[in-house]
Amino acid sequence: MKFALLAVMFLVFYFSPIDAPIVIQSIAAGLTLLHEYAQLHVLTCLVPAFFIAGTIAVYVKKDAVMKLLGPTTKKYIAYPIASVSGGILAVCSCTILPLFTGIYKRGAGIGPAVAFLFTGPAINITAILLTSSVLGWDFAVGRLIASIIISVIAGLFMAVLFREHDRKNANGTFAAGLGGDVPYSSTTILLFFLLQLAILVVFGLSIDPMLKAVLIIAMIAALLGIVFFKFQKEHNLEWLRETWDLTKKILPYLFVGVFVAGIIEVVVPQEVVTGLVGQNTFLSNAIASTFGAFMYFATLTEVPIIQKLMGLGMGRGPALTLFLTGNALSLPSMIVLFNVMGKKQASAYILTIMVLSVIAGWLFGELI
Amino acid sequence: MSGMMKNIKVLGSGCSKCKALEQRLLALKTEHGLDFDLVKITDLNEIISFGIMMTPGLVINGEVKSVGTVPKDSQLLLWIKE
Repeated sequence: MKFALLAVMFLVFYFSPIDAPIVIQSIAAGLTLLHEYAQLHVLTCLVPAFFIAGTIAVYVKKDAVMKLLGPTTKKYIAYPIASVSGGILAVCSCTILPLFTGIYKRGAGIGPAVAFLFTGPAINITAILLTSSVLGWDFAVGRLIASIIISVIAGLFMAVLFREHDRKNANGTFAAGLGGDVPYSSTTILLFFLLQLAILVVFGLSIDPMLKAVLIIAMIAALLGIVFFKFQKEHNLEWLRETWDLTKKILPYLFVGVFVAGIIEVVVPQEVVTGLVGQNTFLSNAIASTFGAFMYFATLTEVPIIQKLMGLGMGRGPALTLFLTGNALSLPSMIVLFNVMGKKQASAYILTIMVLSVIAGWLFGELI
Repeated sequence: MSGMMKNIKVLGSGCSKCKALEQRLLALKTEHGLDFDLVKITDLNEIISFGIMMTPGLVINGEVKSVGTVPKDSQLLLWIKE
């Protein structure tokens, strides 16, 4: 296997027309976009966002949220909680599938499980912050709201469609979490969280650079004050470890994604993009939806790729559709779903998401 | 000690904390000369059958000890030796 891979790479390098203009242009475009991201988004958006996600992972009490997704919870509470809790519970996409399987098999049932599965990857805080930094607030908010609404509709639909599933599983129980609580007041933790968010927001403001520097230094000082005088060493280390884990997991793939997005700009002809997904028609949205469903985007890489596709003329409606299905569905995740839910339910879920995303994208393109 | 060999299971489908927990256990095993069986469980359906949803889960002799965190070394030692 490894040998085959090396052999293929060798042949590619051996025969590739390395000085052809298109190759040089592609590489240059890839590097240019990497340069742009490194200058505009990494320090001012991503680094604070990773720290914020690390804070959520360490300090947010997950047990309380998990209890609300148990089998005895009233449905009108379980659905809204499931559709927004992805932002708190699933800082990293690898935690989504165990949580989903748990809610599905032993917790609040198929509907809330589906709602959680769909929004989990879409409303994570780093993705929303990067979307707003690159494409603007309207896209970030559109993505957030569309995800939440679709998740509830899809969940209710699945629950009606597969009513027998929940009857069979009604008597399961689960241990939400036996992890210890952190010994700080909620106010301290909230302040710690808000300070980090404020740093990120101030970075993005267009104000006098001197004032900006003063504000940011003041806020970092306050943050360090909490770290050194309020928090215990053990939790600080955990905070750093979570942040570093996320960075390690996401940033390398993002850089590859950014490079690929730069290449797309050169090798994909503009007419193809405008022709297929240029207008906000039903067909364009359906194409975007199908493409997003099968294509695998590593966390956050959907942002540069959609940015460049829009640069080539992709309409706003299809762009939002691609955001919605791109994160939630991919060939690898479909395989896991088939394994956990079975053929019938998994196919129904995938189709429901694809159709609802088309509708949401079309509405977004028409209204906003 | 009960005299019987402890059976320890780490439940997790490959998150970084799951690996950290496994490594801590193996390190403690050599440092303190402990005797136990360590099994890693990665199958989602099997993980859920223990009634946990946050990984990593730590199961000692069939009893769920911790969920979603890597416990402190001192705590781990207590559980292994009890």
